[in-house]
This record gives sequence, C-alpha cells and structure tokens, in this order.
Amino acid sequence: MSQMFSSKNLKLLTNPLNLENPITVQVLGICSALAVTVKMKPAFVMALSVIIVTAFSNLIISTLRKSIPVRIRIIVQLVVVASLVIIVDQVLKAFVYDVSKQLSVFVGLIITNCILMGRLEAFAMANKPWESFIDGIGNGIGYGWILIAVSFVREFLGSGSVFGFPVMEKIGAYSIGYVNNGLMIMPPAALIIVGVIIWIQRSRTKSLIEKE
Amino acid sequence: MENHINLFVSSVFVNNMVFAYFLGMCSYLAVSKTVKTAVGLGAAVIFVMIITIPVNYLLEKYLLVEGALTWISPKLAELDLSFLSFIMFIAVIAAIVQLVEMIVERFSPSLYNSLGIFLPLIAVNCAILGGALFMQQKEFSTVWESATFALGSGIGWAIAIIALAALREKMKYSNVPAPLRGLGITFILVGLMAMAFMGFMGFKI
Amino acid sequence: MNKSNTYIFIYSTVMVVVVASLLAMASNVLKPFQEKNLEIAKKLEILHSVDKGWDASSADSKNAYVDGEYAKYIAETLVVNASGDTISGQDAFMVDLVKEMEKDSSARSLPVFVCHQDNGGVNYIFPVQGKGLWGPIWGYVSLKEDMNTIAGVFFDHQGETPGLGAEINTLWFQKPFIGKKLFNASSQFVAIKVAKTGEPREAEHSVDAISGGTITSKGLQNTIFDSMQMYLPFLTKNKK
Repeated sequence: MSQMFSSKNLKLLTNPLNLENPITVQVLGICSALAVTVKMKPAFVMALSVIIVTAFSNLIISTLRKSIPVRIRIIVQLVVVASLVIIVDQVLKAFVYDVSKQLSVFVGLIITNCILMGRLEAFAMANKPWESFIDGIGNGIGYGWILIAVSFVREFLGSGSVFGFPVMEKIGAYSIGYVNNGLMIMPPAALIIVGVIIWIQRSRTKSLIEKE
Repeated sequence: MENHINLFVSSVFVNNMVFAYFLGMCSYLAVSKTVKTAVGLGAAVIFVMIITIPVNYLLEKYLLVEGALTWISPKLAELDLSFLSFIMFIAVIAAIVQLVEMIVERFSPSLYNSLGIFLPLIAVNCAILGGALFMQQKEFSTVWESATFALGSGIGWAIAIIALAALREKMKYSNVPAPLRGLGITFILVGLMAMAFMGFMGFKI
Repeated sequence: MNKSNTYIFIYSTVMVVVVASLLAMASNVLKPFQEKNLEIAKKLEILHSVDKGWDASSADSKNAYVDGEYAKYIAETLVVNASGDTISGQDAFMVDLVKEMEKDSSARSLPVFVCHQDNGGVNYIFPVQGKGLWGPIWGYVSLKEDMNTIAGVFFDHQGETPGLGAEINTLWFQKPFIGKKLFNASSQFVAIKVAKTGEPREAEHSVDAISGGTITSKGLQNTIFDSMQMYLPFLTKNKK
C-alpha cells in the first residue's frame, strides 16, 4: 500500500493541480471548461464526469497498451473514451436529468476534450495502469478546480448565488440597490476570468512565465 | 432560401463556434501565432466541417434514431440506436480527417509542414464534433440545412482564428506584464473579441 | 509493436463487439430511468400551462410530487381526430405530436388534456409544436371552457439564443398570453399574434414579441397558429 502512494505517485496527483495544470499550463481541455461555468452545479457535475472519464480511460488504455496495434491506436483510444463518455451521458440522463439538460452537448464534447487524448498519448501509453489511473485523477482534479473557481466567480457575481443558494438575496443586497453583473453570465467573462487566474498563478510561480 | 441565409449568418456571427460556445479552443489558442498557419487551419476546419456534418446528418437520420432503420425492414422500426451516436460521429470525423491529411500532404507539403501535428488534432477539435452534436440537437429538416450550418460554423471559426492571429502578431510589439505574457493575455484578448461579437446578438435579419 | 494485419483485424473486431455489447447493456439498464425523467418533464410542462406544479424543484421527491399533482388535476385525457371527434383506444399522454404532424391531416390523432381546477373550473390543454430559429420549440396552451379564452401557456425550446429567443420559456413572456382570445368577434380563427413594437395589433389577440428575438417570436406565432388550427373542428364543436 505504501508503494501505491509513494512520493512519486503523489506527485502525479498534485502536479496537475498547479505546476502542470491542464488548463492554465498545458492549454488542454479549454473548450468545455468555459462553456459550462455559468452555474456551479453543472460545473461540478462536469468536473466529476471528466475526472471519471480521464481516470478510467487512462487505466484501460494503460492496461491494454502492450496489445494495442500502433497503427490503429488513435481509433482505439477514441473508442475507449467515447464509450466511457456514452456511459457517463446515459447515467446523467437517468439520474440528474436537469443537469444533463443544462450541459446539453458538452457531455459529448468530453470525447474531444484534449486533456483525455493528451494524457493518453503522453502518459498512459508509456506507464503502468496504477500510475496512469492516478495521473488521470490528478489531471481531472486539476481541470476540475479551475472549473469550480471560474463558475464560483461567475455564479456569485452574475446570479448572486453560490451552488444555487441565493446569498445576495439572503443578506439583503438587492434591497439596498445591488444589481447582478449580467456580463458575468455571458461567454466573454469566462475567458477573462481564466486569463486572470493565469495571471495570478504566474505571478506566484515565476517559473511558469513565458519567455519573449 | 431566407431560412438558409438566416441560418448561415447566425452561425457565422451570432452563434460563433469560438465566441459563443468556446469550441475548438485548444487548437485555436495553439495555432494562432501567425496568420499564415491560422489561414491554413481555418481552411482545413471549414473543409472538414462541410463534409462531416452532412455525412453525420445522413447517418443519424437513416441509421441511428428510433425508426430510422425502417428502410431496411419494417421490423426494425422499434430499434433505437441513438446511444451510439457519439461513437459514430467521432469515427466519421477521424476517418475524414485522415483523408484530408493525405490530400494536403500530397498536394501542399509546405502547408502540411507548417500545420505540423495540428492536422491530426482536427479529429479531436471540439468544433468539429460540436458541430455534429449541435446538428443533432437542432433537428434540421433537410441535409441542405445541415450543410448551410456546417459552412457557416466553419467560416465563423476560421474568421475567429485569423482575427486572433493577426492581433497576436501585433501583440509582439506591446509591453505585456510578464505573468500575463503569452497565454494569459491571449485569453483576455479572446474575451474582448467575444464581447465585440456579442454586439451581433441583437442582429435582426 | 508492429502487429500483422490479421492481428489488427481481429483486435478491432473484438473491440467493436465488446464495446457494442457493453453500451447496449448500459443503455438497456438505464432506459427505464431516462424514460421516467422524460415522463416527469412532460407532466410538469402540462401542469405549468395551467399554473400548477411550481413546487417541483423544492419537493422532497420530485417524481412523487409531479405524479401526485398530475393525477390530481389532469384526471381526464382524450384523443380526437381531425374532424374533432373523440377516438377511443389511445393514450393521449403517449401520442407523439411530432410524428402525428408528419401524417396526413385525416390520419392524425391529437391529444387533449383536461384539467379540473380546485374552484370547479375546467381547462382544456392542447400541445403545440413548431420551429424557432435554432430548432424545435414546443409547449402547451390551455383554454377555458369557452374554447376561446387562454387560461395559461407554457413554452420551451431546445437551443434558442440565451437572453433573446430563449426568453419564451420565462414567466414574463408567458403571463401576457392569459386572457387573450383565439377567435375574433365574428368567430373567425385568428390565434395569437406575437407583435413587435409598432406593428398593428388587436389587444385581444396580441402579445409583445421579444426584442432581438424576432425569428423565435414569429416561429412561436406560427407554432400556435398551425397547432391550434389542427384542433379547429374540436374547438368549434365544443365552443360555448
């Protein structure tokens, strides 16, 4: 057990949270990150779905890595990912119908989420199943926390609530003239918030600053 | 006809793949450093869109939805294969991208070299699969409508990437705060462009 | 790892079979749940058109609440044909209006839901179906016993532009429909006009369009006209 959570493996889990964050450093999986962040609940479900799909697709591909013929490996990867996504989509439709309606086509777009193919090619094809599984979870969480952070700002400033709980209404902000910022629920806000997150992260971690 | 013009203009400007749905962002950010490669990738995306979306439309209509298989045998009317649509779409896209890659390699080696690894990446460009999924969601009544939608979405994506590339070429001469350099300022730039595109939202056609 | 063609062929065949059976299994297991969700969503839309069912999201068990309310208010349903006569042997709830509209008008079977309000009033609920700018729009229109005055409406859409066309599913847009009339003083069928500012209008038959959502508004106007026209014989027969 101690070997399973060796410091090397823990690194696999924690690195993607900051130094190798899939969104802000590796520039992967941005498409869906921005579109589902208007409210926290769909963002949370999306993050969870991506964690599950990255972890298990990494695990499956890594287990099969020695048997996969090189020539059709992209197709094999896509088939594995697509099947996992279909299962996730079906489960969402069955148990959280409202959220799945809000996420609409973006659940399907997990298939083309570059995090998945990126990690499968870069990690799972060359590493053992357990490490790959952890790498998948790490990258999924790294993706997830950015999603939650962006959606928190957008929901709080744009709709005055947190996780659907109407904070602004409860503290009586509206009665003294507070107005929600409508721009926050529009697409441009997501981009600018991610830009600001990158700014903060790179101000704190100088090694990430890009050279001219 | 009016319907087609509406659909076209809306999908180019109002519901722009990049600015309204953030689709195809990975390659959008990675390949937008120079205008030349941006034009190449934009053209490739338009091309792949126009082929894959109508093909996927026909597959959806005659193979996947409930009752679609009646043309084979009336007994199959109850069969609903729509849960296979994701796999079907992505397979069609991957195959067509492979084809485009071979054509480009054969006829324009310089374009092939400059697009580098991004041509295979079109297969996982969310804009392409997104186009197919939106097509499925919008339930177009004819294959021509889906083709118009594909053309509009492709052109919208190409316009977006060429515009961003032109801006980034100019950005080289500006003095950006160090932590924002590169990716950070690009995000904010795209945000401002998206805001400008929001102006099309009240567009009356 | 360059494997022979035979290996690749066998590998892909096995993969396809395994994946297909796995997915078919998952889809079969989950189908009842998904269908229940669709049923609940439809029941809720019907209830909303008669101003019921608003506590669904705060109810402990949404499904039980919706099923309960539906059973309480929509106790009666009928299926009518194109000439307005009731046909028996069909479940109105299961009729798919989209499919019926593709048929010849004489072969259609059209569902009607009857709501018995607490105060003894009776509302007749008619489904409507059509196209907006981006895709299908649908909803339910409920009429008072005179088969003329609108008692309430509910509309929804699949992918209209947020903030513009998408507003058709909001209360501020739907409330003004209440009290409007489908027939004019000389008993002609005029349905409801969704009018832009400045367009000529008759107060009894018009509501405000969504500014910037012109195509969706017009689409909705046509949706109501076309769908209610199918029920015209039924409406005329039962008019009071």
